[in-house]
Parts: sequence; C-alpha cells; structure tokens
Amino acid sequence: MTGTGAAASAAAALERAMEQQENWSSTAAMPRVGIFGNGMPETLVAAAGAVPVHLALGTTTQSHPICEVIEPFVDEEVRYFLVRLMRGDFADLAGIIFARDDAPALIAYQYATEWIRQDLERAKTPPLFLWNLVHTDTQPVRTFNRVQAKKLFGFFEGLGLESPDAADIAAAARAEQERAAALRKLDAAVGVSLSGTRAARWRNAGRFMSAGEHADLLAAALAETVEDLPPPARIGIVGSPLCCEKTYRMIEGFGTVVCDQQGFGQVWPGPGNAASELEDILVATAADPSCHRIAPTSSHRAGLVRALKEARCNLVVCQLSQTDDTFGWEIPALATELAAQGMTLVNLGFRDARPGDAWLEGAAQQLDQALEARK
Amino acid sequence: MSQDYQPLASTRIAGDYQREWAKGLRAQITSGEKYAFVNADTPHELFHHMGVPIVTNQWWSAIIAAKQLSEFYFDYMQAAGFHDRLARYSSLPLIAELEGDTARQPWGGLPTPSILCARQSADDHQKVFSLWSEKTGAPLALLSSPAVPDPQPDWWHLARDGWEELYHSDRLDLMVTEFEALIAQLEALTGKTFDHEGFADYMDRINEQERIYEEASALIADAERCPIRISEQIPNVMIPQWHRGSPWAIEHAKRFRDEVAERVAAGAGVVENERIRMMWIGAGLWFDTSFYSAFEESHGAVFAWSMYLPFAADGYIRESRGDPLRALAARVSAMNEQLHQPPWINSWMVEQARRYRIDVALMLIPEHDRFSGHGSLFAKKALEAAGVRVIEVWSDMVDPRQWSREEMMARIVPELDAILAERV
Repeated sequence: MTGTGAAASAAAALERAMEQQENWSSTAAMPRVGIFGNGMPETLVAAAGAVPVHLALGTTTQSHPICEVIEPFVDEEVRYFLVRLMRGDFADLAGIIFARDDAPALIAYQYATEWIRQDLERAKTPPLFLWNLVHTDTQPVRTFNRVQAKKLFGFFEGLGLESPDAADIAAAARAEQERAAALRKLDAAVGVSLSGTRAARWRNAGRFMSAGEHADLLAAALAETVEDLPPPARIGIVGSPLCCEKTYRMIEGFGTVVCDQQGFGQVWPGPGNAASELEDILVATAADPSCHRIAPTSSHRAGLVRALKEARCNLVVCQLSQTDDTFGWEIPALATELAAQGMTLVNLGFRDARPGDAWLEGAAQQLDQALEARK
Repeated sequence: MSQDYQPLASTRIAGDYQREWAKGLRAQITSGEKYAFVNADTPHELFHHMGVPIVTNQWWSAIIAAKQLSEFYFDYMQAAGFHDRLARYSSLPLIAELEGDTARQPWGGLPTPSILCARQSADDHQKVFSLWSEKTGAPLALLSSPAVPDPQPDWWHLARDGWEELYHSDRLDLMVTEFEALIAQLEALTGKTFDHEGFADYMDRINEQERIYEEASALIADAERCPIRISEQIPNVMIPQWHRGSPWAIEHAKRFRDEVAERVAAGAGVVENERIRMMWIGAGLWFDTSFYSAFEESHGAVFAWSMYLPFAADGYIRESRGDPLRALAARVSAMNEQLHQPPWINSWMVEQARRYRIDVALMLIPEHDRFSGHGSLFAKKALEAAGVRVIEVWSDMVDPRQWSREEMMARIVPELDAILAERV
C-alpha cells in the first residue's frame, strides 16, 4: 500500500482503530455506548450525545466463570463478549445496547442479564438495553418500533445522555450522510486502487468512532492510497459474519472482493442511518434485507442475489461460523439462483473466527478448483 | 422395564382418537378441505375456532421420527446441500416435503396446506417455513417475536392473571394486531366470520381443560409413588392439547385425571419399590420412548416429570379479563421462551423439581435446534444448587444418529448407583 502525508496518516489511523476497537483513543474522552449486533441505528446513539462503539468484533484468550453456562453451540462472538463483559472490559462504557434481531445479540443479552440478576462473580458492568426493533413494514410494527425508540430514549436519559430531539437526530444524520458518501467512494475504489480486504477493514474501523471522524479518515485515506491489486476475478462473500484479514487475503488471492454481504461487510452501516427523521430511520432499519429475520422472508435472499448481481460477481464465496444455524437454510436455493445468473457459489464450509493455516490452504484449493472449472 | 406395569386406558383412547382424526383429516383434505400447517407455538386457537384443521410441525416431526424415518430424511437433507448443523426437530417435516415421496411418509404424507403459520421465536423458524412456502406455494403467516427485556423469574405466578405486566403491553398490542391480520386471512380462506363472543367461551373452555391437567399434575407430584410413566403422560396431554378446548379434549383430560386419581388412591406405582424420582428435561426422545422405563427394574428409578403435563397449566392458563384475544396473545407471546430462556427456564425447573421431589434430572440438550438448547446450562446450575443431580444428554429429539442407549445407560447407571449407595 502506498500513500503520502495525510493519506498515510489517515490509513494508519483506520488500521489502528481496527486494532484498538472500542478503546479507540480519539473517543476515550467522550461518553461511549456499546452496541452488540447489527440493526441498531448508530445515528440515535450519536444524537443522544455519545459515540457508538461495536463490541461483537473483539476476541479474547481469557476465561471467566460465566463460561460454565455457555453451551458449546453458542456463537463465538457471544462467548468472547460475555467473558470480556464480566471481566470488566466494558466498565467504562455508559451502557450497552443489544440488537434483538441479530441472533447472537439476543443470547448475549439474555445470558448477561441473567448472570447479573443472580449477582454472580463479575467486575463492574454498564447498564444493558435490548433494542427490540421488529424487521418488517406494517402499520402495527411501525407503532411498535416507535415505542422501542421511546424506550431507547428513556435508557439514554437514565445514562445521563440526551433524549434526542428532531434537531439532534438531523445533526447526527448529517454526519452519517457524510460517512455514507465516503463509503460510496470506498466501494468505488475497490478493484481500482484498493483491495476488498483493505476496504472491509476501513469500513469496520468506523464501528469504533463517530460517523464524522470515520468520514474524514476515509476521505483522507482514499485521496492517495494505492494498493497492489488482486487478480481480476470479481468475488462476493456471503455467510456468517467474518472479520479476519488473513481469510480475506486468501480469498483475494483469486480476485477482488467487490461485494461483501456477510454481517461484517457492506451491510453496515444499516440503511436507516443516514435518514434525517426518526420515523424514516426506524422504517428503513426495519426494512433492512440483510437481517435474517426480515419479513417478507424472501427479502433476504433476494437482497443478496440483487447485490451480487449488481456487483457483477463471477464467484461467490460462502463461509460459515462453526455455529451457523441460519444461513445454511439459504445455501441450496442461493446456489441455484446464482447459477441462473452465471455466478458460481463455492461453499467453504465451517471455519473458526480466525481460521488456521490448514483451513485456509484447503479453502484456497476449493477456490482454485472452482475457478478452473469456470474456464 | 417393570413387567407389571399396566398402561392407562386413556393412553389407548388418545392414540386411537388421534389416529382416527388423522385418517379423517386426510379424507377431508383429499376431498378438498383446507388445512393449516403450523408451528407448536402459534395461536392454534384461531384456526380451531375458524374450523380450519391444523397439523402441528413438531407433532408431525415426532410421528416421522417414531416411524424410524428420520435417519433417511437427514441423510437426504445433507445430500440436498443443507449442512448438518441445522435444526432437525423443527425441520424434519420440511425435509420430508422437499424429498417429495409422499408414499414414504407416515399415512401417505401431507397434501399442500392452505396456509402456513410460524412465530419468529427461533431465528430459523422463518427460514424453515419460508422454504416450505416456496416449495408448495402456500402463504406464510409469520408472527413477530420481540423479546421480553426483563423476564421475571417467577413467571408462572404472574402469567395467569398478571400477564399484561409480565409480557408487556407493547408486545401484546403488536401480537393482537397480528392475530387480527391472521383472522382476516382465515376469514378469506374459509368464507366464515370470526365469532368473537364464541371465542370468549372457547378460551374459557381451554382454561378449564388446563386446570384439569393441573389437578392431574398435582396428583402425580404429591403421590407417594409415581403412578404413571411419562411415556403415558405425554400423549394424554399433548394429543388433547392439539385439540384444546374441544369437547373431546376436555372429556379426555377428565378421563386421564380420573384414571390417575384412581391409581393414586389405590396406591399404585410404576414400580413397587420406588427409590429414585427422575425428570426428563426437554422435548421427548421420540425415536426411543421406551428409554423412559429403562431404570425401573434395576434401580427403582422412575421418570416422574416431563414438561408437557405441568406446562399445560403454567404455559396455557391465561385469564381472559374481558379480552380473550389479548389473553391468547399472552399465552402465545412467550410460549416457547418460557421453556428455554433464562431466568424463566431455570426458575421453573427448580420449582418443578421441588414440587415433584426429583432426585435426578436428565437434560436433553439438542445442539441443532439451537433455540431449544439455549439456557440449558443455566438450568443445570440452578438445579444442582437446589440439590438435584443433573445428567446432560447431548442428543436430538428426532435424530437417532447421535444416540446410543448403551452409552447413555453407562453414564446414568453409576449416578443412580451413587444415589442408592448414599441412602444405605
């Protein structure tokens, strides 16, 4: 990767944010509210006067007594989160919000609240809140989701933050609009001056900082950064949330990741973030097709196929966490629908959050064979 | 297995009734009658009241497993490209449907339903049902399932009358409006109008039925010796539960309760010398139900508890308080969650173990129907703190491929031996 001056500095800052995650230094002096899961519009947290920071991407090698009640089929990010929560890693956060319709988030919330209710061994934990937004668009659901926003604002007040008004929300939305514009430029740079690997890291770096700071860093970094690019094949990624640079690098040994539809990919920030009014934020968030719980149920797969087609992918890589029990239902029909559009789906199967070399080698062989077969 | 044990007459009657009902349903359906295929935690009451017969996903799954067909279908599932860590209990009927050979299925299989209904309590329910909908073209009625953010541990005390506070008004408001939309769908399907007044009476009858089961549960819990096997409890509760509120269901509940009462009065027990009382936590082991009597002769150990009987009262009785549709929303809106989500499950397990004087709990932890497995280890910890030995059973309700009765016996026998040794 090359770049000079401000671009190199911004690029380095984005990389550092990915390493520091919720402890990203520029936010340390501000009230921070943790978010677990996709589906919680960061705009509302910002409008309340806090910096939203995501907590589902972190890992730990530590343990804690809470592990004894975590079944082995519970998602890995939940286990890491619960250990870190109970060890006090999030003690400085003003509160934590869990997105109910993100499957791991509900379990994280339930297990955390029960451990705390029983007053079992733990360090200081911040107040927890379940963001119960329902993902569909009917009038009763709109009413229900408005009630959830009201409850959220009550939670903010309880934390000593603002209960945001229309002006606060509009101001926060402006920062999100700037971020959205910067992310569009980021996407446009993929395959031209930037790898999909780098783009994914720079996108996710924004999960740990304000939208405005993210927009500024992206704009600065994109101004001059030029990477050595992968081969020309256009690759899409689907499946379980993936946040592993090594795995991206392996995939990009065969082409550029131009369409990243897994949970830590381009589906974030959610579609409601840049809306200026509360109602529009809620409606757009509730209609997000990347949510597995979206109704009508056909929206999810249709959204995937549409995005992959628009990105003109040749190859779509599916990869699954060891605990997948949801995306697997989509795979046969998705493979059929993609084939009808001239795209090949390669299912790499189950992998760890940070896959080892043997898995990466086997996955590379699978991709190699799939590309050979397309010739 | 105790050789002297005599099955209840009620068990045969329930089985016969369900067989005849299924036969009749099949005849009705093949002659053009509409029917619904629904998940267990959906408002069956609305379908019953509108005269739309239902087939319940989990019941049909258990039937397929009991016919020893699940192995074939799960092999097919993988061959069709679905990986082997997906749900099994809730998907077995779908897989049979996708496989397509109805002649292989119990009773010649199911025709295309007129409507499908699921609640989004588990993340994969909508996936399973939407695939069914895609395959058959049947419309899918999907009910939302926002979570209860502050579940109160003693839910069964509040659920009957204090349900507005327990389940929260915003959730109930949403569920009622979704019921109204479903009613409109059923009205369009049947050409009938939903009778609100009659529905209030019908809901009262369901409460009456569940109170009868509460009496039966108390009889078994309080009896000096457990009078019947859980393999008999389950069909005598669940078959009428699929027909809840009907004259037959109420009559059968009474028949069952009275037969249990007779046994208790006569001092009859599953085994003469009952020494250990056990509970089976989780759904039934549908492909090997005789396992439940495996320790009777050797250890005087009886399975006295399974969730189906006590849950009839705690999970179903909801006083109407002048609004039967809202009471139904209260019944449905956390039905499954109460059996799997902490603190609901752990608190209830401890209460039930105490009530039934349980020594040992066998806890089925299905790795694939994830929703049914969550909260298991919280429940285990709570039971152990309450003095109950817990044996984890990592298996599946309908997939025998991971089940070895011999291995399980080898794990359980030493525990039972230890309990008996402690008592010497």
